[in-house]
Amino acid sequence: MLSERTPLQSTAQADIDEIESLFSISVQPARLEVPAAAVVPERKPSVALAPERKQQQQQQQQYVNKSSSSNPQQGPSIPVSYVPPRPTPDYGSSSSSSYITGAGGGGGGPAAVVGFGSGPVYNTLTEPVWETLKRDVMRVVNNLRNVVFPNPYREDPGKPLRDWDLWGPFFFIIFMALALSYSATTDRSKVFAVVFATLSVGAIVLTLNVQLLGGTIIFLQSLSLLGYCLFPLDVGAIVCLANSSKLYRSLVVLLSLAWSSWAAYPFVSTAVPSSRKALAIYPVLLLYIAVGFLVLANN
Amino acid sequence: MVISWQAEGEQYGHPAVCFFTVLFKFSALAFYVLFSIFVQSFVIQFVVTVLLVALDFWTVKNVSGRILVGLRWWNEVNDQGESVWHYESLDQQTLETLNKKDAWLFWWSLYLTPVAWVALGIVAVIKFNLDYLLVVGVALVLSIANIIGFTKCRKDAKKQIQQFASQTVASHMASTLQSAFSV
Repeated sequence: MLSERTPLQSTAQADIDEIESLFSISVQPARLEVPAAAVVPERKPSVALAPERKQQQQQQQQYVNKSSSSNPQQGPSIPVSYVPPRPTPDYGSSSSSSYITGAGGGGGGPAAVVGFGSGPVYNTLTEPVWETLKRDVMRVVNNLRNVVFPNPYREDPGKPLRDWDLWGPFFFIIFMALALSYSATTDRSKVFAVVFATLSVGAIVLTLNVQLLGGTIIFLQSLSLLGYCLFPLDVGAIVCLANSSKLYRSLVVLLSLAWSSWAAYPFVSTAVPSSRKALAIYPVLLLYIAVGFLVLANN
Repeated sequence: MVISWQAEGEQYGHPAVCFFTVLFKFSALAFYVLFSIFVQSFVIQFVVTVLLVALDFWTVKNVSGRILVGLRWWNEVNDQGESVWHYESLDQQTLETLNKKDAWLFWWSLYLTPVAWVALGIVAVIKFNLDYLLVVGVALVLSIANIIGFTKCRKDAKKQIQQFASQTVASHMASTLQSAFSV
């Protein structure tokens, strides 16, 4: 049985390797075509050398990634190609995208088939599990940095997150509900359920509010942003656990509330037309004040 | 467990990935059902179940889909601020080298999980444990999202295969006509 299994695997592996090398060969010259045309013909030998070097580099990358993916927990034995920092849609194989406008679900656009059959290997379809995990974690950290912390390199504070994700908000809401129910003395499960339901339903309702006011923000993007702006209140809830004097807690809650509102204000106000700004920002502040009171009220 | 799977007639292509796919779904359901027998703590039950369901969502979307059936879906916001959904699949050649048993396991577990959660939700309503509907709600939202995403991937893959087939047939016919006329 085992002997039957191994030849099959090795041939499949060899096939995939072959296709992978074909892909890298076929892709490299295509990518370098533009600079080669713009460059003086004398420089052509260096350009011709570059694809070879790049291919070697890629193969080295493959070997490096192969050795790192031999971690028994990860499992997949598919060979790996270099992973770009963002999943861009310019793969050598088929992908179809449907375009939905920001005003909530228009009809699907044209399905763009990009080079079907020119190469079977996708950059993000064959990366090892570790890379995917790392990429998602970095995404959460980056989003947090962009939204919540004062960042001088931020292009435009009013612009909603491009790489939105819902993992950050998910963990923040759960954490907030946990923190509040932990410090509650009576009926912990009720507190937890109420906080979780309030926060999640509140975020959904707030997003709907922004959209109904004529705002141009994508539903999931806005959910993600509102969730990330909850982070300062999470910090406030932790800090409040240190000391149970009313004054201290009020100060901490006030500070974290101000921080949350400062983080949430830009993107909500730029998402709606200027005459409706107050109508959009007021419920957001209300939600955060309510959570702040919950944090304050626990003893 | 892995060794016993290898001894079967047709083996799983990626036993570890299959294992993890089923593990999180199964443990979420099992934990939800069995935990209340031992400890009466809604918070722990909620958090652990939701965590397992979220882990399952991530695993299925990012690992199992890619490796077992060669499909992937995600959402991006492009420069104009529009939301773009991407549905990807490996092309025909590699799709055929994928293990049939893996694919069978993947699709069956994908479709059966929300059915199980709906049943548990009905039980929760009957028992008047409305708090537990929150858990069931979260689990359902995540599993249905995966179903929609992967079914769209599959539909797109089939559409592309048909397009490709028609293209090759058309080009073949054109070349035969050309050769017929040139002779």
